[in-house]
Amino acid sequence: MEEIGAGFRKELVSKLLHLHFKDDKTKVSGDALQLMAELLKIFVVEAAIRSVRQAQAEDLAQVGVEQLEKVLPQLLLDF
Amino acid sequence: MMEEEEGAEEQQRFSYQQRLKAAVHYTVGCLCEEVASDKEMQFSKQTIAAISEVTFQQCENFAKDLEMFARHAKRSTINTEDVKLLARRSNSLLKYITEKNEDIAQFNLERKAKKKKKLEDENKNSVEPAEAGVVESEN
Repeated sequence: MEEIGAGFRKELVSKLLHLHFKDDKTKVSGDALQLMAELLKIFVVEAAIRSVRQAQAEDLAQVGVEQLEKVLPQLLLDF
Repeated sequence: MMEEEEGAEEQQRFSYQQRLKAAVHYTVGCLCEEVASDKEMQFSKQTIAAISEVTFQQCENFAKDLEMFARHAKRSTINTEDVKLLARRSNSLLKYITEKNEDIAQFNLERKAKKKKKLEDENKNSVEPAEAGVVESEN
C-alpha cells in the first residue's frame, strides 16, 4: 500500500496525549505531534493489514475480531 | 458536597474521554476503509471498534512513555527524539519513523521559507507575525 489519505489530526493527537500526562507543565512540540500522528496511523494500518493477512490465510471473506486477536500480541510487541 | 463535586468531575472526564474515543473511532474507520478497498477485504464493525479501542489504550502508554522520556532528558517539552524512542522496538518501524521525521522537518523548513519570502514580498514595512498557538519545534 503506497499512499494513505486519512490520518490523525494534530489537534486530536494532542488531546489524546494530554489526557494521560501526569504533569501539567508537559508540552509537545509541533513536529513531535506530527510524528505521533504518523506513528498512530501506522499502528492502525498495521493492525488492519495484519488482520487482513490473517483472514486471507484462513480463507475468510471478512476480517473478524478473532483474526485481530491473533495478530494483536505481535503488534503490541512491535510497538 | 465534596463527593458531588468529585462525581461531577468524574462524569466530565468520562464524557470527554468518550468524545475522544469517538474521534479516534472515526479516523480508524477511515483508515480501515482504505486498507479494505486496497486489499479487497471487508472489516466487520466489531473489528473496527476493537482496533479503535486498542489504539485509544495504546495512546495512554505512548503518552506516559513520552512524558518520562522528556523528563529524563530534563525537558518539559516532548520532541521528535522522544517519539523516535517510542518506535525503538521494531527496526522497520524505527526506520519508517526516522524517515517520516526527516520528511516533516524538510516540509516545515520549505514551508517556513515560502512564508518568509511571501511576507517579505508583501510587506515593505514588515510587522511581526503572530506567534502560533502550538509550541514551536525545538529541532
